[in-house]
Amino acid sequence: MATRAFQRLPSAPAGRILVLRLAAIVLSLCIIAGVLALSGHSPVVLAELILRSTLGSRFGLEDLALFMCPLLLTGAAVTVCGTIGLWNIGAEGQFYAGAIAATGVALGLHGPAIMVLPVMTIAGILGGMAWIAVPTLARAYAGVNEIITTLLLNFIASLLTYYLTTGPWRDRISGAQVSTQRLSVSIPEMWGIVHWGFPVAIVIVIGLALVLSRTRWGYEIRIGGANPEAARYAGIPVRLRIISVMLLSGGLAGLAGMFEVAGTVHRLQGGMANNFGYLGIVVAVLARGSCLNVIPAALLMALILDSGIVMQTQQLSASVVLAITGLILFMIAIGDELAHYRPVAGATPKGKAS
Amino acid sequence: MSKQPAPAGVAPGTPPVLQLRGIGKFFPGVIANKDVDLDVWPGEIHALLGENGAGKSTLMNVVTGIYQPEEGEIILDGYGQTFTSPQEAIRAGIGMVHQHFKLVQAFTVAENIHLGWDEAPRIASPAVMEARTREISERFGFPVRPDARVCDLSAGEQQRVEILRVLARKARLLIMDEPTAVLTPEETGELFRALRAFRAQGNAVIIISHKLDEVMEISDRVSILRGGRKVGTFNTADCNPSMLAATMVGRDIVRRNMRARPEGAAPIATDPVMQLRNVSVRDDRGVDTLRDVSLDLYGGEILGIAGVAGNGQRELTHVLTGLMARTSGEILLDGNLVDRADPALFVQAGVGHIPEDRLRSALAPSLSVTANMALREYPYPPIGTHGLYDAQAAGGLARDIAELAQVTIPDFAMPVRNLSGGNQQRLVARREIRIASRVLVAAYPARGLDIGAIATMLGYLTDLRDQGVAVVFISEDLEDLLNVSDRIGVMFHGRLMSVIDAEAADMATIGLLMGGRDATNTQSGAAQ
Ligand SMILES: Nc1ncnc2c1ncn2[C@@H]1O[C@H](COP(=O)(O)OP(=O)(O)OP(=O)(O)O)[C@@H](O)[C@H]1O
Ligand SMILES: [Mg+2]
Repeated sequence: MATRAFQRLPSAPAGRILVLRLAAIVLSLCIIAGVLALSGHSPVVLAELILRSTLGSRFGLEDLALFMCPLLLTGAAVTVCGTIGLWNIGAEGQFYAGAIAATGVALGLHGPAIMVLPVMTIAGILGGMAWIAVPTLARAYAGVNEIITTLLLNFIASLLTYYLTTGPWRDRISGAQVSTQRLSVSIPEMWGIVHWGFPVAIVIVIGLALVLSRTRWGYEIRIGGANPEAARYAGIPVRLRIISVMLLSGGLAGLAGMFEVAGTVHRLQGGMANNFGYLGIVVAVLARGSCLNVIPAALLMALILDSGIVMQTQQLSASVVLAITGLILFMIAIGDELAHYRPVAGATPKGKAS
Repeated sequence: MSKQPAPAGVAPGTPPVLQLRGIGKFFPGVIANKDVDLDVWPGEIHALLGENGAGKSTLMNVVTGIYQPEEGEIILDGYGQTFTSPQEAIRAGIGMVHQHFKLVQAFTVAENIHLGWDEAPRIASPAVMEARTREISERFGFPVRPDARVCDLSAGEQQRVEILRVLARKARLLIMDEPTAVLTPEETGELFRALRAFRAQGNAVIIISHKLDEVMEISDRVSILRGGRKVGTFNTADCNPSMLAATMVGRDIVRRNMRARPEGAAPIATDPVMQLRNVSVRDDRGVDTLRDVSLDLYGGEILGIAGVAGNGQRELTHVLTGLMARTSGEILLDGNLVDRADPALFVQAGVGHIPEDRLRSALAPSLSVTANMALREYPYPPIGTHGLYDAQAAGGLARDIAELAQVTIPDFAMPVRNLSGGNQQRLVARREIRIASRVLVAAYPARGLDIGAIATMLGYLTDLRDQGVAVVFISEDLEDLLNVSDRIGVMFHGRLMSVIDAEAADMATIGLLMGGRDATNTQSGAAQ
């Protein structure tokens, strides 16, 4: 007979989620501190260093913004797709495709930045869209599961990038490995090393939130995601909506790639996507289907990434950093699940036998 | 409240299977249950009655651990109990078949039966599970197709799977929330036989129903809820339907012949709005679900469709609303050929549709009441202008619909699945009536409604008729059909057996046609 009773709520209230997530983060930080202390690092010194080089200094903040920029866009890409009930696992590949397309433009088109940059932007978006086009059509017309198709294309995009950066587009000027030459144009900087792509990404995320809640198209997407049969019943062209949402999603990830190439890295490099596409999935999961939540979720993710880099400078290996990332996300996932449970109050019968 | 004595036939000293004491359950802005006491004894079938939103489903969800009560206690076989999940309840022998099915649509029947079942074999191949399912289905007398996917089943078939799921888990107390709402009369008969057999083994049943005749037929005692509180418990033998109805609603319900038109009503149009010409539909399995159906719909007329569920009514509704493509034949709207099945086309032409399964096809359960009420009118002003979606205007529309439907909603932002089944149905009906300027296709619109609301619903249909709308009214209730229809068509095995004048029709003839008997002598009375 159950004495301590918990009830599972079908949907967890936002407030509980927030509280439990904070608790999860604090708890994982304690665990990390404990393990670091045991292995001979001083958690206090490390924490101070991390704080100083992320939130506590101008350089740290600039770095954070640069990490956030692609995460905002890939997170939004996955979130938008999720609204209609589909998973775009291929933001990584679309990111590369966008980066490749933008680089192609920059390498081939010579002119003033004011002219080249818009073309690069369009090329980046189209590149991302092109990369998701086949999964999109397969999903819309043949019902092929988009999770598999988008995922598999990631590997192709990544390898294609390696091929280009070691083959036809390799750097013939400075001889950098697995990289093109430095691009002649770049997105102007607005604050230190933070380029204008960052505020644009924020505006895009907010705009998307508005589009989803305030436009007919957004309404149709929400209905289509919540109950496709009801959407059909209402005469919503579900297939067309799936196509448009998936293309938009690919375009966003492609734009992230273009920003990264033209704003942050300034060249196409093998491995430059840095898992931003996959982390976009994490961001989307943290954001729980709301575009506006993508902003704090991307910030958290960027903080984790940035802290990781700081730790690597302190002789902590990259795999330790990965393990820490995993631990924090794992604890947050547990917190989310626990938010569904509520201790049962007042139901324990007073006159209980025994 | 004083302790109720055990009814006759229960050995003295036997505790009730289930006792509820002072149960209270509150939702934001709603008192779903308050001070509810209830005793259910072994060997009884206990009916639970009440209007839509009276709190019947909530009370049963409290008993099975889906909700925790804020007040009161649940006593099982004399011991206090708290269930935190339906799994715990079923382990204690309480099983529930819900108003809205909880099956996994993409799984087969056999998989659904075995899902989350302790006794499922550890290594379960489809063949093993199907064999077990077949055995269970024969043991309890509910025929099912073990290898069929649930999403391909009709509502009635799905329910059989739900019942089997619970019976297979050795429930001692079976709770059924509006089980007969989706059953054919034969299936209801089978269900009742099974319930009586279940009772004969010393088990108990709680059955929620809006059909008073059935309550009279099957139950030993009746408890009535009104506004979340229990009004009383009665021996069924001391009751009659009209007394039950009056106790439930708190007023008398008058049934009248609604075929007569009031003055100023639109006459039956001379040209049909919609026509079917030899329409057939073949499903994926190659079965002809609709065979050679020809039909004319006239404005200002109610065409009743009788028939045992599963004889092509679903396909007919879907063809009439553009949800399903025909395999052969022609559909004409205003005399123009409709060349593709596109629901948007039919919506624009003013065809409203109350589908048989509201949660599956007419609502997005997880979205807000407001978003759901906008489903039909979001492309048009005031909600949709210049491609925008005006949430405020949608809220206004939702409030209008709720007011007309007489549903009180504490919070329009809450998911529509939080509403009681009957209230969902009322909202869908009002929403569809708003857009049905030419045709309303209403499939079992009274399903899940209390008897006061059924009278209101039939009134809606005749109002539409008087405004000159063509109404297709699909129902299993012959009395309702005869009450409002001008013509009645009978469906059998996908065929429209014949369309007869309701004036000249009687239950016996329709009953024969429903059984597939081609009564040639009724042809003389057929219209056109
Ligand atoms: N999860 C929930 N959140 C908020 N309100 C709820 C929830 N579940 C039920 N309610 C409200 O509680 C009241 C009782 O609902 P309930 O489903 O028990 O009615 P019912 O008697 O089963 O009606 P019906 O005959 O229409 O099925 C309704 O007003 C309903 O809106
Ligand atoms: Mg109910």
